Amino acid sequence: MSGRLRAVTGTAAVVSALVAFTGTALAHSGGLSGAAPDRLAVPTWLFLFTGGGVVGASFLLASFATDRAFIDHVHELGRRVRVPGSALAWLGRLVGLGGLLLVVVSGFFGPTAPMESAAIVVVWAGWWAGYAMTTYLVGNTWPAVDPFRTLARPLGDGVREYPERLGAWPSVAFLLVLVYVEVTSPLADDPRVLAAVALAYLAVALAGSAAFGVTDWFERVDPISRIFRLYGAVAPITRTDDGLRLRLPGAGLVDDLLADRSEVGFVVALVWATTFDGLTSTPVWTDLAESVVPAGVPAPVLYAGALVGGYLVFLGVYRASARLARRTAPTYRTAADIARLFAPSLLAIAAAYHLAHYLTYFLALSPLLVHALVTPLTVGTVPSLTIPGWLQAIPVVSVLVGHLLAIWVAHSIAFETFPSRIQALRSQYAVTLVMVLYTMTSLWIVTQPELPTPYV
Amino acid sequence: MTDTHAPENADASTCPHCGMAFPTETIRDLHVGRSHRDAMRDGERDAYEDAYHEDADDLRLFQYKALGALVLVYFFFLITYAVAA
Repeated sequence: MSGRLRAVTGTAAVVSALVAFTGTALAHSGGLSGAAPDRLAVPTWLFLFTGGGVVGASFLLASFATDRAFIDHVHELGRRVRVPGSALAWLGRLVGLGGLLLVVVSGFFGPTAPMESAAIVVVWAGWWAGYAMTTYLVGNTWPAVDPFRTLARPLGDGVREYPERLGAWPSVAFLLVLVYVEVTSPLADDPRVLAAVALAYLAVALAGSAAFGVTDWFERVDPISRIFRLYGAVAPITRTDDGLRLRLPGAGLVDDLLADRSEVGFVVALVWATTFDGLTSTPVWTDLAESVVPAGVPAPVLYAGALVGGYLVFLGVYRASARLARRTAPTYRTAADIARLFAPSLLAIAAAYHLAHYLTYFLALSPLLVHALVTPLTVGTVPSLTIPGWLQAIPVVSVLVGHLLAIWVAHSIAFETFPSRIQALRSQYAVTLVMVLYTMTSLWIVTQPELPTPYV
Repeated sequence: MTDTHAPENADASTCPHCGMAFPTETIRDLHVGRSHRDAMRDGERDAYEDAYHEDADDLRLFQYKALGALVLVYFFFLITYAVAA
């Protein structure tokens, strides 16, 4: 075999490994589907190393772009657009309120089978898959759409100040509670539970807004608003004081996005939430639960413990990487400051995994979604959409682009932060290592056969 | 916003314009050239140029190493795929 031919087969093997990865990733999409993953054509360890290698190699490639003027220029590309803001905001509020009403009515009074319930389809396929994609692919419209905020709006400024020292930690705790509920309750299958949780969320939002004011609650505590705001930083369209601004995807991540270490905690929680969701349906988790629960550990304790413990491990690893960066650079900036500066790059990866996870899921269920929106309370058979084979490539591309974007964002942040260019490159060692490890962890989870979550 | 924390006993080079501490003189000189370009004195300008060239040399060496690492990564996967898959 000639060298050139071997190179071609090598590249083909890497690409096919990634294609195999998306084949399994597709099986990992929440409560409405659950096919067993296909067998991989290469050994799992090699597959994991390939994923890690791609990310590591992209850092090495980025080290050739060291012209600060070029890096700045890339992030300043864009233009301003004027739009009728208030009309769109009203439209958004109507859509959001209509959606919440539909979910509650259909959830309590509609059909109970998951695929027939408009509440389930609208929330999981429409909102958490489809709408969430628009927040990082187009722009964050959630502040206008958010029905909880619309309903809380008359409550005004609240009766007391939000305690500044808590930062985003209440938001982190709230997000972990949501993940706990999502994993351990039949939220994805039972419309009654889903509608009840939606009303409970509304009650908490109203109580919180009454206490701390609508703005403070939704800007600081409400985890869903915060997720979409962070996703929105990846998006090409952003809202400024004088209309909308068009920019390159990911350009918003280079701005000083996070205020303090508690907001870093939230970004890590968002990344961990995706991982935990996948982890609890792996055979390793089932084995662990089947040995620990009969031995006397109650299942809720196991789930809560793993959720919080795993989060602390993720946070610890990320913080350790910031301390390491402080030494490799070298710099006298504090480790907390370095952690804060580099954390936005993780958001590009989070958004890319969301897209890889949900794109085909959303498309396959879109006829069902249309059906649910026009006739929310009736049962009927809906033709499913046949997904053309070439669409399988889009998740691969999204994971790759997400990682390249993350590496590029970390690269740009380092060049913005450090006076010396070699110092900027050396500061990225640790964050690149974290990204490589995280990629390999995620790839390992998606190559595992998906089992039903045990003991819930 | 810049939080810095210089160790007590470090021979930190501080910026004469803003008082920020840096681990090496080269990085300090680069900072002066980048952040206080308009207020630079002649000596500082020369120091900045020297530091810039030194940085560029380090950078070029780094890029040669990165190129070498890329080649290694490429052949590592090429050979591993040939053997294992």
